[in-house]
Amino acid sequence: MNTDRFDLGGGTPIITLRDIAKSYWREALEIPVLQGIDLEIPAGAYVALMGPSGSGKTTLLNLIAGIDRPTGGSLEVCGHELNGLDDDQLASWRNLHVGFIFQNYNLVPVLNAFENVELPLLVSGAGRRERRERVERALTLVNLTDKLQNYPRQLSGGQEQRVAIARAIVTDPDLLVADEPTGALDAKNAEEVLGLMERLNTEFGKTIVMVTHDPKAAHHARHQIHLEKGVLDKAVEVNR
Amino acid sequence: MRWLALIWKSLMRSKRRTLLIVGSLILSVFTVAVLQSLLTTLNAVTNNPNSSNRLVVRHKSGLTQMLPRSYEAYLRQQPEVETVCALQWFGGYYQDPRNFFANFASDETTLFQTFREEFGVAGITEAQIKEYLRDGAGCIVGESLAKKNGWKVGDVVPLTGTIFPINPRLTIRIIYKSPKPSDENVLHFHYKVLEEGVSYMKGLVGSFWVRTHRPEDIPRFIERVDRRYANSAYETLTETENAFNLSFVKMLGNIGAIIQGITAAVVVAILIVTGNTMATAIRERTTEIAVFRAMGFSARRVLLLLLSEGILLVGVGGCLGVLLANLAAGGVRESLGMAMPFFADFAILPDTALVCLAGALAVGLLATFIPAYAATRRPITDGLKAIG
Ligand SMILES: Nc1ncnc2c1ncn2[C@@H]1O[C@H](COP(=O)(O)OP(=O)(O)O)[C@@H](O)[C@H]1O
Ligand SMILES: [Mg+2]
Repeated sequence: MNTDRFDLGGGTPIITLRDIAKSYWREALEIPVLQGIDLEIPAGAYVALMGPSGSGKTTLLNLIAGIDRPTGGSLEVCGHELNGLDDDQLASWRNLHVGFIFQNYNLVPVLNAFENVELPLLVSGAGRRERRERVERALTLVNLTDKLQNYPRQLSGGQEQRVAIARAIVTDPDLLVADEPTGALDAKNAEEVLGLMERLNTEFGKTIVMVTHDPKAAHHARHQIHLEKGVLDKAVEVNR
Repeated sequence: MRWLALIWKSLMRSKRRTLLIVGSLILSVFTVAVLQSLLTTLNAVTNNPNSSNRLVVRHKSGLTQMLPRSYEAYLRQQPEVETVCALQWFGGYYQDPRNFFANFASDETTLFQTFREEFGVAGITEAQIKEYLRDGAGCIVGESLAKKNGWKVGDVVPLTGTIFPINPRLTIRIIYKSPKPSDENVLHFHYKVLEEGVSYMKGLVGSFWVRTHRPEDIPRFIERVDRRYANSAYETLTETENAFNLSFVKMLGNIGAIIQGITAAVVVAILIVTGNTMATAIRERTTEIAVFRAMGFSARRVLLLLLSEGILLVGVGGCLGVLLANLAAGGVRESLGMAMPFFADFAILPDTALVCLAGALAVGLLATFIPAYAATRRPITDGLKAIG
């Protein structure tokens, strides 16, 4: 495989994929979704993963984020060989290293903004005061300190997504994964969310992998990777 | 936010559903606790350890037939016998026919010895007994019966006969306490009042209550007495007091089987209701569960969270059900304790309460575990794709 085609700049890779494959089986029929993916993403990168619908973007992102397992190849993310971790270890690894941003925000409806952001900290076992400080810092960053007590139904879509971003960064992970984070937002709110993600990358050094099919959204990233029918097609550096 | 807060908020997601589960648990635990306690109470009537020394000798053809008083002499002669007390259900009422309670004509001289466990004899003084023996129109009443009617020692209680055509006016000589509430809802008066007041009762006795020295004596004694009077004009049926009481309980039909049947039906019904409701509740949270796991909650942690919700739910329902059953038991004692003495002992015993609570918890665990386990086995990526 020619890795030169996917040169995302130098630096220590935080994500290394080697010959990754993923297939699904429908009865005896193998349906290959990803094939021969070789990719290195350096720490601090902001990558937009693009490609037509059904090309395998979400599947690839899920593999990187450790919520799915490849059927072939190996991947090292945030210093861990993911194939070597069992399900429980993988869960703690995610809690420590990965923040998730979804298209539908996926906030818990019965918890208010503060409690939603606090959730990942319940796993890491931080004390009450530390949790409070971290949650408040995260919500300050997304500029929602006045909505701590609001429940998701009392927030606009853009605000919900900002709460979700606060939840993704509250554990201070190295890696943020976002699957169509602006897919459900209008242009103005999308801009705001994208601006926030850009800040997280530039100011806080978070590595971001964002799946999107929206060229405007992809333009905020520093690199664009194109998937075509489960194979990496090309990588483009974005001139901002 | 603590774990408990998280569990609580999750339960309040659908208040209607939470109320449905808690409500149906209250109802089922209440029903089962009351029915099982009824069974326990009835079993206690026929398994009274105090009566292990006692026998009842009565007419073979039934309780309405009398035995000759002359049998008493023969019974007394038997080496196993400690004492004999003649007893007849009088069936009188005080002031109002609905004001019903147990009252007997009995041999005043042997009553206390024959039923010494029931009369809590320690509390009754020699002088009181003397007073009762002296006054042929005297009577003794249990404390709770006296309290209910506002009676004091020395008061005159007019009884209206329903079986026998006399209305004796009795003076209370003793108010006694008893270890068992049901034994306090009773009045006794001198047998002579019946014998002398009702011409056809002269020389006749409803039943003889025999106290033996040792329980082991009983089988031989029964055999001998019934054989002696076989084929006579007054054939006897001799049985232990527990067996005698059992014949009354049996009049209610096979209540044990009915109660166990209802209990089984309730358990199955509640399992289906709770199981279904829990399964729906968890299915609706498929995406949420996947999000929790993506954020780093292990499958075991999510399972524990869901199980805690289920257990809290059935725990609250179960406790409230037992509490209500206890209140109801108090009501039953108040309202039926006089008419049917064994209801005066009706209570939800701690054993019954514990079994009911454990049953409720088992139902909750089972009903939650199956869908919760399935949910945590599902791939996270599936859950994220699910709608809702
Ligand atoms: N659980 C699954 N079972 C079978 N096929 C699946 C499953 N998940 C995804 N696929 C298939 O894999 C392909 C890629 O899916 P996905 O990664 O979601 O695409 P994208 O995000 O680029 O739109 C699609 O053809 C989809 O039908
Ligand atoms: Mg997708």
